Formats: sequence, C-alpha cells, structure tokens
Amino acid sequence: MDRPIDVADRPAMVPEVDGAAPVSDRDSPRLAVPLSASDTLDRHTRADLRRQEMRIAREFHQGRMWPYVVAAWGCFAIWLSFFPLAIMGWLNLPLAFVLSCFFATGGYVTSHEAMHDNIARPGSKYRWVNEWVGKVSTIPIVFPFSMARLMHLEHHYHCNDPVKDPDYTDEAPNMWMAWYKTWYNRQPGVDGSIHHYKRILAEMGTKKAGKAMKDTLKLQLLFMAVLFGMAWSGYAIEAALIWWLPRHIGLSYIRFYLSWAPHHPREEQTERYAQARIFKSRLGHFMSMCMETHLIHHLYPGIPNHRTKDAYFALKPILEKRGVDCSAL
Amino acid sequence: MEIALKKLFHWMPFLFGIGFIAPLIAQTMAAWDIAAPFGMERIVFGLIIGAPWGLYAVLRGRWI
Repeated sequence: MDRPIDVADRPAMVPEVDGAAPVSDRDSPRLAVPLSASDTLDRHTRADLRRQEMRIAREFHQGRMWPYVVAAWGCFAIWLSFFPLAIMGWLNLPLAFVLSCFFATGGYVTSHEAMHDNIARPGSKYRWVNEWVGKVSTIPIVFPFSMARLMHLEHHYHCNDPVKDPDYTDEAPNMWMAWYKTWYNRQPGVDGSIHHYKRILAEMGTKKAGKAMKDTLKLQLLFMAVLFGMAWSGYAIEAALIWWLPRHIGLSYIRFYLSWAPHHPREEQTERYAQARIFKSRLGHFMSMCMETHLIHHLYPGIPNHRTKDAYFALKPILEKRGVDCSAL
Repeated sequence: MEIALKKLFHWMPFLFGIGFIAPLIAQTMAAWDIAAPFGMERIVFGLIIGAPWGLYAVLRGRWI
C-alpha cells in the first residue's frame, strides 16, 4: 500500500538508496538518504537535513484536489460537446480552437496528479475518481492514461538515464532545438515520443505494458476514424481545429515545459537533487504548468502540482545546503 | 492480428494523406474560395497532394 500500483510491475526498479527519487510521497528515510561520493556533507548532516526536509514536505502533501476533478471532467465534457456543435454549425471555431489547445495541454496536468494517485489512493472509496480523471484528461492528446502512467513512473525511476528514461529523447542543447524536437520526435520514422514509448512497453513485456499498448492502438485508431469520418463528411476544418491541431500544439507544449525545460541538461543529472532544475519561466508559473519548481515534484511526487512552489520556498534553505542552484527563484 | 495492425500503422501516414489531408485541402480551398488548377475538382487536387505526401512520409519516415 505504500507504493503506487505500478511498482508491483517492476519491483527491481526501485532504488534502495542513492540516486533516483522514490516515486511514492510516503517514502521512508531508508529510500531517500543520498550517499553519493560527490556529496560533500557528512552522513550525519545528510540524515539530519533529510529529516528536516521530510518534516517540511509533509505539510504540503495533499490539499484540495477537487479542482483537478472539476477541471478534468468539465473541460473534457466541453471539448466533447464541440464535435456535435461544430457539425450543427453552432460553434465559434476560432474560440473552440483556442479552448481545445488549452484543454489538450492542461489535461496532462490533471492526468499527472492521477498518475501519482494524488486524487485518491488505491483502495480508497473514491479511487474510481482518480482513475477517471486520468483516463479522460489525456484523450485530447491521444495518449491513453495506462500508457501515460507507466511511462511517467518509468521516468521517475530512471530520471535522466539516457537509456531507461522514456523522456530522454526530448533532450536538446537549447530551447529552439527543444521546440524543434517536440515536432521531430513525432515523425513516423523517428524513435522519439510515442514511438519510443511503444518500444519501451514492448521491452517491458508485463501485463500492464501489454494493456497500455492495446489502449494506445485503440485510441489512435479511434482518433484516425474520427478524423477520416469527419473529413470525408465535410467537416475536415472542424476536425483539424478541434482535435488534430490542438493535439499537436498541446503535445509540443507539454514536451517543452514538462520535459525539456525542467530537466535540461539531462546528461549525468541522475542524482536525487539534480534530476530537475529550478528555473524562471518567461510565461510565468501558471503558463509553464508549475514546472519552475518541478524538482519538488521529483523529490515528493505526493505534493500536488499547485503546491510545489510554496513547498519550494519552504524547502529552499535545505535545498541550498544540498547544493541545489536556487538562484532563479 | 498483431501483424495486420503493424502493417496498418506502418501505412498510416499514407492513409492519413488520403483520409484527412486530401479533404482538408479541398475544404480549405472551398472556404477561401480558391479553385483547383486545370479545372480539377478540389478533392482530386487534395488527393494529388495528400496521397503522395503520405506515401513520402511512409517511405522517408518524415513528413517534411
């Protein structure tokens, strides 16, 4: 019960000490004290800092999660309504396009909370809410929740590992190349993004990986069927502006802000406090989907996205002692 | 079934060129009141662009 369900799939992947951050927020000190050779603090100081860190972090766990549920289900319902409204000619297409881009992008944030069981834990009364928030949120980007959760937890287990981190293909030397790669990685013959995920799932070979693969194929076929059906019925522009383009824009935005920006440069940044960086976004905290303080999420995935900034400021003195560069915020 | 699905996804860019890009080109031209060249129907023009483009994506592994 102390670990998310996906850990059961791959027990050997959870590090005992050192390096990667534990995936559960209810990690024990046994899992978390970094003992890497490069750490200049002595063992006693590290253990003491870790205790202080956990005490502070605990204050920011949980909180009001219902806005995520309302946002996920509400936005999905509105987005679904765009299809019949467009066909009936009752839709302002430019407005629907802007909203669809917002829903496609923001859906990953609500789904992300569900991936970490932050809305309702396994076995709890409202577990189904957690699962359905996750399931509907990523439909606009044609990325099934089962696949998203498995790959995201792999990202946590092997953060910045060039071979095992599923998101490592987003790495780029600068922001312009990073934006370019968000598009390049989706090309049919490139082993990046969803193609890379499919390969990792095939290699995992577990039951959950098989289900995630099937879900992905089903959703992609549904996506194509809707696009082809609408296009040949005279609604190609509507389909493009409600689903096709928002999906591409959303995926690029997500890849840039959730993967490249907080993890750059990934090379050799596998140690617990180096897995993500603190940065100042030109678009602000909300528009960067709270990724400025993504390191907090890697340290404590149980802290909801909207509380990572407050948690960061509370933890800042400890992070500085740990050698984290906190100059940006 | 698995092989059939793999084949289907391999050829998906080509199908996408016919199934989506072609009608999208035709309907966009109609919306902007642009006629197809050589007296062609807009959908024929869309297919002439969409199908080879999709085929190129299958063979080359890139859309551009």
